[in-house]
Amino acid sequence: MQDLKQLYQAVLDGNAKLSKSVTEAAIAEGVDPQKLVTEFMIPAMDEAGRRYECGDFFVPELLIAARAMKASLEIIRPLLTAQGTQPVGRVVIGTVKGDLHDIGKNLVAAMLEGGGFEVNDLGVDVAPEKFAAAAREKNATIVALSALLTTTMPSMKATVEALKAAGVRNHVKIMIGGAPVTQKYADEIGADGYSESAASAVTLARRLMAA
Amino acid sequence: MNSRERVLAMLAGEPVDQLVLMPITMMFAADVIGAQYRDYALDHRVLVEAQIAVAEKYHFDYVSCISDPAREAADCGANIQLFDNQPPGLDEQRALLADKTALAKLKIPDPLGGGRMTDRVQAAALFKTKAGQSKFIEGWIEGPCAQAADLRGINSLMTDFFDDPAFVRELFEFVLEMELKFARVQIEAGADIIGVGDAAASLVGPALYEEFVLPFEKRMVDGLHALGTRVRLHICGNTRRILKGMGSLGCEIVDLDLAPLDEARRQMGNQILLGNLNPVRILRDGTTADVTHAIAECHRQAGARFIVGAGCEVPRGTPENNLLALAAYARSHAP
Ligand code: B12
Repeated sequence: MQDLKQLYQAVLDGNAKLSKSVTEAAIAEGVDPQKLVTEFMIPAMDEAGRRYECGDFFVPELLIAARAMKASLEIIRPLLTAQGTQPVGRVVIGTVKGDLHDIGKNLVAAMLEGGGFEVNDLGVDVAPEKFAAAAREKNATIVALSALLTTTMPSMKATVEALKAAGVRNHVKIMIGGAPVTQKYADEIGADGYSESAASAVTLARRLMAA
Repeated sequence: MNSRERVLAMLAGEPVDQLVLMPITMMFAADVIGAQYRDYALDHRVLVEAQIAVAEKYHFDYVSCISDPAREAADCGANIQLFDNQPPGLDEQRALLADKTALAKLKIPDPLGGGRMTDRVQAAALFKTKAGQSKFIEGWIEGPCAQAADLRGINSLMTDFFDDPAFVRELFEFVLEMELKFARVQIEAGADIIGVGDAAASLVGPALYEEFVLPFEKRMVDGLHALGTRVRLHICGNTRRILKGMGSLGCEIVDLDLAPLDEARRQMGNQILLGNLNPVRILRDGTTADVTHAIAECHRQAGARFIVGAGCEVPRGTPENNLLALAAYARSHAP
């Protein structure tokens, strides 16, 4: 029997090789892939996020943890699809126009993926129209916007407007984040939610899906 | 005492008549003369005109060559994204060292070869003719961590620390040599101090900072001192956990952004500290009273070895009166 706690530890330590091999072994033994995700990988990422908040982890540790989780997810995702498990939701995510900061956005994307969402990452400096086109094309349920500059926050508003203009606003929930962004700003521009960290972004996305 | 004399005296540990005032301005400065930021970043004549206009209008003691972190990477051959009214950026998807083996073939660009580095050297020279008697002139280079991130892609560099420490050191060596060459020509052109921007260093935490970044920052600072210049270290973000290391480098000035000044003072001894008025919350969004109150508190925490400035770049859209209030505090107080 695989010691599944090892999976938790491998993700937390950012050991992609180990998380992959434990995942493979567990699956070979018939463990439910969904259980691996929800009981071991997500708690590991939550713990990584918690350590980041209190200053025990820094960006490199978060990024290798996310990478380890992704390595396991690559094995698990096709199995879930084969089982007919639907993604919790379909997310289109990107950093808004004029803004090139992507570390936070990448972490949010990784966490959402771990949380069972299908994630389409459009990258950085993404124009409002591009968000709108991708939302339609991917039949998105959530559009997630990241901005790190006060000067590019208005691009978030422009993106909300572009989604309206393209007629997709009512089919998606919009969530926003990034260091200078606030709940107040989210309310102002008519976004559906804001969260301040990658870990809480998953909770937010789930809540928005349920609403 | 004019501005230049004031800064020189302050850095030499001699008495000064007023607090020294050295806030970083970039996009704000371009806006002051109504220039597009693309022109500010690409044409030293625009940068120099804007810096001098800001320094005069707001009584700054210095002018600076800083504009964006992409100059060196551009001359190395990296893909640069230009924006009309924003700083040029680097595209990580197409980073110069997306493939690590490219480092072996990478050549240090000639800083006088006519590229974006040369434009900065020309800025230093033009400052010297236009304001060399009255203002203190700051040149600028990127620190090891920031420049390595610009060449390799910041997300990749962050994981390289764990995956391939030897590569990181090799890359830092390349950066160190390139930046010291770049600094030398800026000093020869007229820079009185070299600012070292190492933004990404605030992301790595104390263990990686001490193991990888600090030794190269130290060699960079020592190298700059050997060139006969002074050093201002600027690491944006939260540097609380690496203050001690930053204080051990022997820089003439250390900037603080999100780390508390009182803690920095405790950990860095007699070091001259610059900052750390919150750029967005106080300087841009606060009232003039907020600005005065906050900078007085910075001064109180830092004590006499203190230079007035914001934690990071003065944001575009900062009200004129707020920056004037900051200047008024400096002009009406002695250290
Ligand atoms: C790294 C960095 C850069 C790198 C970016 C590289 C990259 N690929 O990302 C480079 C060097 C390119 C850069 C450039 C610039 N930068 Co910069 N940069 C930073 C720095 C140091 C770290 C940002 C970071 O990655 N943080 C770590 C991540 C994990 O945190 P995060 O992004 O906040 O994300 C978390 C949450 O916000 C949230 N979140 C994020 N996105 C989303 C999205 C959703 C939907 C949700 C729900 C949540 C969420 O979850 C994340 C994880 O918990 C900060 C200073 C600092 N230490 O904060 C400045 C900073 C963001 N930069 C700043 C500036 C001004 C610039 C420049 C304009 C500088 C210049 N003049 O050249 C340029 C602009 C370039 C551009 N057009 O974008 C300022 C912004 C000021 C402001 N408020 O406007 C900062 C704050 C520095 C400062 N103190 O002034 N920068």
